Amino acid sequence: MFRHILLPTDGSPLSEAAIRKGIQFAKTINARVTGVCVLPELCHFGFDSDIGAEFKKEAAAAMQREVNKTLLAVEKAAEEAGVLCETVQEKSDQPYEAIIEAAKKRECDLIVMASHGRKGIGGLLLGSETQKVLAHSTIPVLVYR
Amino acid sequence: MFKHILLPTDGSELSEKAIQEGIRLAQSLGAKVTGLCIMPEKHPFFYETEIPAEALEQIAKQTKEAGKAYLSVIEKKAREAGLACEVVYEVTDYVYEAIIRVADRMGCDLIMMASHGRRGVKAFIIGSETQKVLTHSKIPVLVFR
Repeated sequence: MFRHILLPTDGSPLSEAAIRKGIQFAKTINARVTGVCVLPELCHFGFDSDIGAEFKKEAAAAMQREVNKTLLAVEKAAEEAGVLCETVQEKSDQPYEAIIEAAKKRECDLIVMASHGRKGIGGLLLGSETQKVLAHSTIPVLVYR
Repeated sequence: MFKHILLPTDGSELSEKAIQEGIRLAQSLGAKVTGLCIMPEKHPFFYETEIPAEALEQIAKQTKEAGKAYLSVIEKKAREAGLACEVVYEVTDYVYEAIIRVADRMGCDLIMMASHGRRGVKAFIIGSETQKVLTHSKIPVLVFR
C-alpha cells in the first residue's frame, strides 16, 4: 500500500505526537519515512535593514539549531522503531508548498501530519498549513488530532 | 495499528476511489471495514406542500434504494478482498455529525474519505463535509484526492 511516508514537522508537541503515530504506522505497513522541516526564508521583522548583521546571524543560527534538534528527534524515533528514515530541511515562507514539493520530489505516497502545528488551536478549527496541504496535495494526507 | 476503518460514501466517483484505496489499506493491515451511506432527510424542493405525498414517498424510496446500492458496492469489494464488513445506512441532513457519530459507535479508529464528494471540486478547494469531519473528528482521517 503506502511505501514512503512524508512526516512534516514544525517541532511543536502536536506535530511530534503525529510523527510518533506516523512512524508507528510506517512500521506496521513496512514503509520508510522522510522527515521534513520547513524554515522560514524571511526575517520576522518588517524592516530587515534595521536589524544588525550580528543579530540576523544569531537568529538564523538559533533557528538552524531548532531545526536540527527537531529533525534529529524524528531520526531517533524512527531508529527506535526500526523504520528506515531520512530527513530534509527546506527553506520557504509557504510551508505547505515546501511540504508538497518535498513529497513529490522524494516520491512519497502519503503525508502524515497533525491537525494543528505550532500556532495551536486558538482561533482555528483546523490548522492553516494542514488546511493548505489538504487543499493542494494530490497525494493522500492522514490527519492526526 | 488501525483495526477498523470507516468508509463513508455518497455514491460519487471520487468516494468510490477512496473506498477502493480504503479496502486495499484494510487488506494490508488486516483491518475490518464499515461502509456508511448518509442520505439527506429533506428532499430538494422548498415547497413541500405542493408536492403530492406519493411523489415524496417515491423520492424517499428511490433515495433509500440508491443508498443501499452504494453500500452493496462496498460489501462486494470487501467480500472480494476477504475483509470483515458491516454497512450502516443513515438518513440525516447533518452528514459530518453522522460520520463522526457512527465512527464512534462502531469503534472505528480511522476514517477514510475523498477530498470531495458529490458536490465536486468546482466551488471548493476541499469538500465541505470532509472539511467538517476533519475539524470535528478526534479519530484520524485519511483524505484521498
